[in-house]
Amino acid sequence: MANSLMIVDDSATMRKIIMRTVRMSGLEFDRTEEAGNGEEALEKLGAEPVKLILCDINMPEMGGPELVRKIRQMPSCENTKIIMVSTESSQEIIDSSIADGANGFITKPFTPEQFQQELAPLLN
Amino acid sequence: MVDQICINKALLDGAKEVFETMVFMDIAEATEPDQKIEGWALLSSITFKGPFEGCLAVCCNVDCAKAIAEGMLALNLEEVGEEETCDAMGEIANMVMGSVKARLQNEIGNVEVSIPSVVSGRSLQNNLGDGSVKLLTRINIQNEYIAELSLLYRESRN
Repeated sequence: MANSLMIVDDSATMRKIIMRTVRMSGLEFDRTEEAGNGEEALEKLGAEPVKLILCDINMPEMGGPELVRKIRQMPSCENTKIIMVSTESSQEIIDSSIADGANGFITKPFTPEQFQQELAPLLN
Repeated sequence: MVDQICINKALLDGAKEVFETMVFMDIAEATEPDQKIEGWALLSSITFKGPFEGCLAVCCNVDCAKAIAEGMLALNLEEVGEEETCDAMGEIANMVMGSVKARLQNEIGNVEVSIPSVVSGRSLQNNLGDGSVKLLTRINIQNEYIAELSLLYRESRN
């Protein structure tokens, strides 16, 4: 799995912002994918897994928490890292995401420096 | 009752954080209280419910909204269409609400937040009805645009 990234968010604007922030953080990916909800993400991951997923929490069809639980049941995504990206900041939500299988949590608004700090260790 | 000065500060600080970090625009409280939003405007609002219920809104004219979209998406103005503008305004309200919620968690407890909605028109404003508090802060964006941040709330009636 080369350095590959999937951004999962129901807002096309937010997906563009996240992509821009990833570029500004200096992180490089050989392949990037986008999905508008959990179901779309699962379909794409079934075809080809990625190394890192940046995932929103509140989405239609399938939200972030359910997506994370389903990914953790997929052998092909065993090494995939998942970071939740959300406006939610309560410790309860963060702890719940980690318990589901996420590797970390970034709260909106975010900076390129935060992305570098959180994501770089997961890619090395 | 929650301290209104504290809430007003959270609203302004939350908005500053979002605008500086995600839109790359500086904002400051407008110095002239009578500065108004002229012409066709967009109002992006998001509701919340918990021990307190209400809504937070960001309102500005179309030129300002397009500039916000331009900043958020790193597009040229010609590339910013209606969809991008509405989307950007929705995201602004969403993130300002998140930022305010984090700052006031101890005061207002945990609240659930809706999906933002964006409407356009003239002389737009939110209303929560009797028994609610309305905080309105006018902000200056990049010394060029005027926007209104409003937070309406009341204790939950459940």
